[in-house]
Amino acid sequence: MRLTDPRTAVVAKRLAGIQRVIAFSSAKGGVGKTMCTVVSALVLARGGRRVGILDLDMQGASAHLFLGTRPRLPEEKHGILPLPVADGVSLMSVAPFTGERGLLLRGAEVSDAILELLAVTMWGPAELLLIDMPPGMGEEILDLSRLVPRLEALVVSTPAVVSVSVVERLLSVLRELHVSVPAVIANMVQGDTGRVRDLARRAGVARVVEVPHDPSIEAAIGSADALASSAAGIALEKAMASLGYL
Amino acid sequence: MHEWALADAVVEATAAAMGSRDPSCLRGVTVLIGELQAIDREIFSFALETLLSERPYSRGIFHLETEKATFGCEKCQREWDLEESRGLTDEEREAIHFLPESAHAFIRCPACGSPDYRLKKGRGVSITSLEVVNREGCV
Repeated sequence: MRLTDPRTAVVAKRLAGIQRVIAFSSAKGGVGKTMCTVVSALVLARGGRRVGILDLDMQGASAHLFLGTRPRLPEEKHGILPLPVADGVSLMSVAPFTGERGLLLRGAEVSDAILELLAVTMWGPAELLLIDMPPGMGEEILDLSRLVPRLEALVVSTPAVVSVSVVERLLSVLRELHVSVPAVIANMVQGDTGRVRDLARRAGVARVVEVPHDPSIEAAIGSADALASSAAGIALEKAMASLGYL
Repeated sequence: MHEWALADAVVEATAAAMGSRDPSCLRGVTVLIGELQAIDREIFSFALETLLSERPYSRGIFHLETEKATFGCEKCQREWDLEESRGLTDEEREAIHFLPESAHAFIRCPACGSPDYRLKKGRGVSITSLEVVNREGCV
């Protein structure tokens, strides 16, 4: 008889009411994963979808900062409840537990924390779960691809040479893990996106979503309305509709 | 009471381990509770029994054991327990209760102050053994 970690037995049950789980991923840091995750959640909610955000960046959780939410311990109801952060949007991350303190974890502890959050968070009415992935390739993508049924990934890259090169490695890994990639998001676009389009073609990804470089984003941080109405918000709203999320 | 979510996990994992075996095969389940997570034993036990009552298993099969939390410093090799991790506020204890890895934000090695340590044991909830009847179709 095979005994497994009991938490793995309930992850699918916790996500049963959620139609699609989308990991905003990029092996490269600083390409705008969190912005894309949060703004996508806001435009989806504005379009009537109920959205959960799971920020899995243990060292650099920042979705709450974009949303202007002060982290606080979650309420309990046969599990823990994600924080309501905007109309139709709820958030879970390590920030409610650790605040703005640094959290130094080794790989196995990262896996434990991910599994715990997946096992005890009650997403309630959320229809879509957007996961803000940390940079790099490690426990997060391995654990999610194993534990989350029908996981899909929107892969974020800037058009920069280094970003495209690093992201190509992620796309290769996602293919091996059988994680579906409906689109590559070319973020911070100021000109030609040929490199990202070539990358998508090589990786067999059907769509490229272009999100313009938007200097107003910095000033919009902390305001759900301003983020959703930004140029990035308009681009991501169109993308969410074309990808069938809206 | 997020003890319910953890109890649910234990009951689901037990059922998964039993698979298609006759439910009467199951005699006991030993559940280890890590001291660090500070699970409310009474609520957890009540949740286990309540959730179990919805399934075809005998009542009273869960045996709860507690494992002391032990930390080990990677820098100075000092080992210590939770009692030595003094000064935690109620809010910090609550955070650790919800997410035991939060301990790394609050606890430091009592000897050298390093944040570089491992939780060696006593983290959270796990199943250590299932006892089944020794007859054909059960084992």
